[in-house]
Amino acid sequence: MTAITDQAYTEYKDADRRANIIKFVAAFLFIVFGFWSVEVLNIPIERLLGMFGRLGFMISENLFPPTMSYVMEQRVLDSIIETVQMSVLGATIGTLITVPLAWFAAWNVTPSRSFLYPVARGIIVVTRGMPTLMWAMVLVAIFGFGPFAGMLALVKETIGFAGKLMAESVESIDMKRVEAIKATGANEFDVLFFAVIPQVWATWVGIIIYNWDAQLRNSTILGFVGAGGMGLYLREQISILEYHTAMAIIVVIIGLVVLSETVSHHLRRRLY
Amino acid sequence: MTGVAITGNPLRDPKKIARKYFAIAVFAAIILYIGKVIIVDGTDWARMGSVSEVIDTMLFFVPDFSFFPATVVPLLETLLIAFWGTALAVVFSLPIAYLAARNITPFPWITYPLGRCLIILSRSTHEIIFALIYISALGLGPLPGILALASRSLGFLAKTTSEAIENVNKGPIEAMEAVGASRATIFFFGVMPQIFPIFVGNVIFQLDINIRRASILGLVGGGGIGLMFAEVMQNLQYDRAGMIVVGITTMVVLGEFISNRIRQRIV
Repeated sequence: MTAITDQAYTEYKDADRRANIIKFVAAFLFIVFGFWSVEVLNIPIERLLGMFGRLGFMISENLFPPTMSYVMEQRVLDSIIETVQMSVLGATIGTLITVPLAWFAAWNVTPSRSFLYPVARGIIVVTRGMPTLMWAMVLVAIFGFGPFAGMLALVKETIGFAGKLMAESVESIDMKRVEAIKATGANEFDVLFFAVIPQVWATWVGIIIYNWDAQLRNSTILGFVGAGGMGLYLREQISILEYHTAMAIIVVIIGLVVLSETVSHHLRRRLY
Repeated sequence: MTGVAITGNPLRDPKKIARKYFAIAVFAAIILYIGKVIIVDGTDWARMGSVSEVIDTMLFFVPDFSFFPATVVPLLETLLIAFWGTALAVVFSLPIAYLAARNITPFPWITYPLGRCLIILSRSTHEIIFALIYISALGLGPLPGILALASRSLGFLAKTTSEAIENVNKGPIEAMEAVGASRATIFFFGVMPQIFPIFVGNVIFQLDINIRRASILGLVGGGGIGLMFAEVMQNLQYDRAGMIVVGITTMVVLGEFISNRIRQRIV
């Protein structure tokens, strides 16, 4: 009896020791990787120590208190309104494009599995992968400065963001209703309108509102590359080292985001 | 409910239908107005020129694949920035999650709102803004980029983790309390093992999103591929810019694919 328990105990101890060795090696490799990245990224380690002091000084002296009167200037107020307008328009146009794409990109109800499905999937995947700000820079180079380029950037972002969520919600529908409608000799459009949309409607509205929220977040920053909105003034104020006014814009951005989050949260709660 | 005559289908209440169409009409009018302001008034159509000119400008962006070797190192740098940003976020998100979880927060009246505030601040501030603040304090380079990513993603990690902690099974915690375990012991041995799979899934998810975020940090001086992109855009080398966009998109798509695979295996 003791022999068996002893053996079990030794086996347990061995396993424990092996796990410890693996953990030790992993931790060691992690530390080596850390040093290697510091080397590759050229991070000045000696500056890290002074970091907190300078950061504290930056926040206490340069950023606070924000000069809120700057935001009340007409041109800045206009740019804030433009930001909101851009987000609403971009999200709406983007949604109009996304709805058919989501239909094509859902494997279970797509009208054509060999052609439309891969094309729609490809569009959604590629638009998701591109960073918005870079895409906005490209659009500014093509269409010139102003909110039009920014709006198109938001349309791209909507396709990638809402497209994936909407297609996923279509893929998780109950296929019995689709089959029942198909059995009556319905075409693809009838299936979409009478079997798919009634099932995903609530989810889609939730996604659309959430997407608008996300696009408002993105639109506050698009002005950085000249694509319209208040980001332009943020960049301007920072480049002339007027941190107090820049902080005022940051405060407005955070306020807008929190506001839109609250609105979208309440709208979505009312839905369900 | 006697005496109430139900006429017709209550779902087809004409008042409700009228209100619905009114709301749709108002929304459509707002959209049309905004569309007019932005697309017609706010855009310099004359500068753009004819359709063929616009297409010519677009063709400048056709990627120059011979530029690819030069983008490899900045792309790897971007990956490293994303990795260390996420790693820092993991470290800092745990104490914040501890503060913001209603059931284990040490002083509910002070620390719970504090934790929630930090989470909201982190989630609602764009990484570019964080990067600007860190850059103005620390100078240019990947270090402020890493800190910006960490500040940006610790909110999401802390939020999901604290929600997971709130839904944790009470049994093991009570058992540990009964034998007199300290708060830290309870956290690491009673709570952590339960939330670990969710936590790892979220960390991988953030890592994948941070690759995308890291790629634009360079536009404001935060290191990585964005710096190179800003450079070639300024030099009007649009074909190279096209190549960089293709490179980043490939990297992000691959990252998302791998992260989805790993998360599916964990959950």
